[in-house]
Amino acid sequence: MSRRWKAIGALAVALVVAAIAVTAAAAHSKSTKSTKFSGTLNIMGFGTNGDDVAKNRFAIAQKAIAPAKVNAPNGGFNEQQFLTDIASKQVPDLVYWDRSYVGTYAAKGALMPLDSCIKSDKIDTSQYRQAALQSVTYNGHIYGIPEFFDVRTLIVDTHVADASGVTGKMLNTANPTVLKQAALKMYQHNGSQVTRIGFDPKLPEFFPLWAKAFGANILSKDGLHPDLNSPQAIAALTYANSLIQAQGGYNAFLAFRNTWDFFGSDNQVDKNQVGAWPMEEWYYNVLASSSPNVTVTAIPFRSKTGDPINYSTGSAWSIPKGAKNVAAACQWMKTMTQASTWETVANIRKAAYAKAGQYWTGLFTANAKADAAINKPTAGEPKKWASIITTVENAEKYSFAIPASPASAQFNTAWTNAVNRVLQGQQTPTQALNQAQKEAVAAIKAATKK
Amino acid sequence: MTSVSAEGRAGAPTPEVPPVALGPVEPRWRQRLPLLKQVPFIVLLAAFSVLFIYPFLWLVSASLKTRGDVFNNKLIPSTFAFHNYVSIWHAAPFLRWFANSMYITILAAVLVTFASALTAFAFAYFRFPLRNFLFGCVLATMMLPGVVTMIPVYLIWHHVGLSSSQIPLWAPNLFGSAFYIFLQRQFFMGIPRQYFEAARMDGDNYFTMFWRIAVPIARPALIVTFLFEFKAKWNDLMTPLIYLHGYHQYTVPLGLYDLLGVYSPSAGGSGDYELIMAAFVVSTIPLLLIFAFGQRYFVRGITLQGYKG
Amino acid sequence: MATAAVATRRPGPGDRARRWASGFRERDTWWAYAFLAPWAFGFLVFTAGAMVWGAIISFTNYSVVAPSHGVGLANYRAIASDPYALLSLKNSFEMTAIYVPFEMGLALLFASMLAKITRFDGFFRTVYYLPVMTPTVAIGGMYLLMFNGPYGLVDQFLGIFHIPEPYWLTDPNWIKPGIAAMLVWQVGGNTVLYLAAIKNVPQQLYEAASIDGASAWRRFKDVTLPMISPTLFFTFVILTVYGLQVFDQIYTAFYNPSNAKISSDTSLMYVIYLFQQAFDYLHMGFASAMAWLLFGIIMVITVFQILFSKRFVYYEGEQR
Repeated sequence: MSRRWKAIGALAVALVVAAIAVTAAAAHSKSTKSTKFSGTLNIMGFGTNGDDVAKNRFAIAQKAIAPAKVNAPNGGFNEQQFLTDIASKQVPDLVYWDRSYVGTYAAKGALMPLDSCIKSDKIDTSQYRQAALQSVTYNGHIYGIPEFFDVRTLIVDTHVADASGVTGKMLNTANPTVLKQAALKMYQHNGSQVTRIGFDPKLPEFFPLWAKAFGANILSKDGLHPDLNSPQAIAALTYANSLIQAQGGYNAFLAFRNTWDFFGSDNQVDKNQVGAWPMEEWYYNVLASSSPNVTVTAIPFRSKTGDPINYSTGSAWSIPKGAKNVAAACQWMKTMTQASTWETVANIRKAAYAKAGQYWTGLFTANAKADAAINKPTAGEPKKWASIITTVENAEKYSFAIPASPASAQFNTAWTNAVNRVLQGQQTPTQALNQAQKEAVAAIKAATKK
Repeated sequence: MTSVSAEGRAGAPTPEVPPVALGPVEPRWRQRLPLLKQVPFIVLLAAFSVLFIYPFLWLVSASLKTRGDVFNNKLIPSTFAFHNYVSIWHAAPFLRWFANSMYITILAAVLVTFASALTAFAFAYFRFPLRNFLFGCVLATMMLPGVVTMIPVYLIWHHVGLSSSQIPLWAPNLFGSAFYIFLQRQFFMGIPRQYFEAARMDGDNYFTMFWRIAVPIARPALIVTFLFEFKAKWNDLMTPLIYLHGYHQYTVPLGLYDLLGVYSPSAGGSGDYELIMAAFVVSTIPLLLIFAFGQRYFVRGITLQGYKG
Repeated sequence: MATAAVATRRPGPGDRARRWASGFRERDTWWAYAFLAPWAFGFLVFTAGAMVWGAIISFTNYSVVAPSHGVGLANYRAIASDPYALLSLKNSFEMTAIYVPFEMGLALLFASMLAKITRFDGFFRTVYYLPVMTPTVAIGGMYLLMFNGPYGLVDQFLGIFHIPEPYWLTDPNWIKPGIAAMLVWQVGGNTVLYLAAIKNVPQQLYEAASIDGASAWRRFKDVTLPMISPTLFFTFVILTVYGLQVFDQIYTAFYNPSNAKISSDTSLMYVIYLFQQAFDYLHMGFASAMAWLLFGIIMVITVFQILFSKRFVYYEGEQR
């Protein structure tokens, strides 16, 4: 064999080896990618028609699970459809819903515990706020990854307060007597018609907040034992109800509230139709965009001991049992809720706001790390909006949530109906809460009975 | 359902025989008050008619107001916001809902009209064993409260895998409906038997007899059925609440119900009530149209309903 | 009439049973059954079958999602001890008790007046009937605004006459009358019905009464009322059944996902509670028991009304 042939042979071998190596490498890299995420991720409750924050996070998460496709029909979480899906064993891979659902469906055995997902995708649960985690933890397991985080503070129309001689110090829920005096100072009426609400306690929705402020825990940490008729809860309802009764009574109060242009430029703050009321933080954003010139400030809600408290609710992601694309679902939840994603979309929004001349009022999530990074006043922001961000951000640290319960819908209905009965004068707070307690106990008992 | 200008009997062979021997076609009471004595009644009726007309005017007016004015109850909007009628098509998939409602309503009404006619004809024309018993079943169904079958019917659809579809909204109409069967049977019974005997001589079978003779003569009853069912289906909220789960599946009533929830200010909704009012007006238009088109059939249908239901 | 003619057309030999059985051999019979087939299928599956299935479910804890088993009478006992079931039943009865007389009285008033006039009668009939052609969801939605206490149109109208302005949406004393008023807005249907009945009263009876010197009121009381009593009675039964089952308008006005926060015990109707139990909580067994209970109640009421009517309703040459 000539050298020439040897050389050709060696070259051929080298080429073949190289070719194999390249294809193998290519195949390998391709296979690792495709084995990780493939198929379609079916999401329920989170569509593509949200605001910029929702859309941009959607795009980021979509990239993270490529080449898997996403099927996310518009429309919110639909409980009845979900139940139908469970019954026919055709569940979505991921649901986006209110955290109050998590306990109920975990107790039904319809959700996948997320322990393995948290482990495999290295989701750092310590970044999420404790209160949020508590509301998605049932029986020691996490069943949901928390997303948004509502912060409830007092919104004060300082123009109304100043004109009525009410100072920020008087608007302190730790001191009910003074607060009531302040409410009455700001309250205005024309005969039996209310023309301005001094202080709206936001009943029945915020009953859990009032109860907590008065020292009541309306549901035990394991979500199994309601305590709706404790003396503290009764005192809280009695007081909050008395605020409404002193300001024209519930009927006049609510009929007036129904006429507010809540989201428009003629909103109740702009028209000085309200002095102060506890509200979720997103309403500052509404005000900043619809009527940026209103004079508002934020004051933390305080418990009777004087400490700030925040009643928190919000959304979460969960994986139903029987989901087919668990890997992609897990990655999706992680990406949607991690600090870097929140920061990216917050920066996009800040830039858009700066361009439109609108003020930044923060974006409050269940991810404490993300919030610390994004909830800073932007440069050149008026003091009014800057201080609101700081107050809300600070109140976030004192959050509590209603624990996950196997019958959260019925539990909520029980106390909501009770508060309504009191507001309408059909029952005393004691009677109403005693009945609610009975109903809640029965509902939880029925839900845990196998 | 082409033209109603022609009387229902137009297709009948011998038009001198009145097709319907039932109902107050010719009122028996022809007493006339002198015009002057009628005036107080006319005035009173005019006064009361405000109760029925004014809410419509109020609704149209509210639908043309800007957001801040929806609650002011003024009859003439301070500024006319005609763009509300443009915005509703963008604020929600209203066009889709409208199309869904239209096709479901028309399909359901056509199906129930003909399925009921088949059944009614059989009860009116034939003599056969079990006839009275079976007709008793029809009458019993009329008295049956809908909620008694609501849950099991849902479960039937659930078990065939269609409980998240629009099919349960119209498919039951394939089998007719007791009230319409009863109503149409009265019409069919009024058709003189000689018509059919003559047709039989001409070699018609029963189905062509039904189709060529009975259906044209009973056309008023069929129109009444169609109109009643159109109205019922166009309004229905409960069935869509049970079966429709995606925005794209919604009908107009369910969509409006949903929007009320989204916009309700008492819930901290966005309060775009003027858009809801505009949507209400649009959703009323098909009913007003079919009413304009078939008013006398409605009147006749209601009257028939009262005859020993 | 027609039936007699048919019966004589085909005289069958032998006893009745044989004749009856021989019917099955007739070609006509099979044609008739062919015509009836669609209805019969629907009746067997969606009415009779469904009722039986519903009855069976009412003795189980069926919930669609979880395995179920028989629970005997537990669901019926649970209704008896469920405060909301009893409350909603009471609410439905109270609302119906307000609605039915209100509706019948107004319909009779309008129909009597309409019967008197020969000018504009078509116009008025159309106007009074228009609300019947308004979608029920729209009525429920408009109700929220028009009955919103002193800010609503209704109270502003009442205010002109210095009538105290009720809070229709929240005051427990006014919720049911408000709902009844919303339903009565659609009084046009019954007005047309009564009008036809009044026009159908034989003229001679009025003439005879006039000769006897009866006043207009007496003519109404002694001639019109008895002569239209079958129609009145018929609507009385139908409206009672309707009132106990009305859902759409009330659900829209008071049970929106958002309005649930302001809804109260007073607006909780039986059918609404049944619907919530069935489709919000999937307590299908309990809800089926509620449905059967309602069925029983409606049957009892109807029978009672029929017995009662025997004494007051005049049937003119009654024959079907």
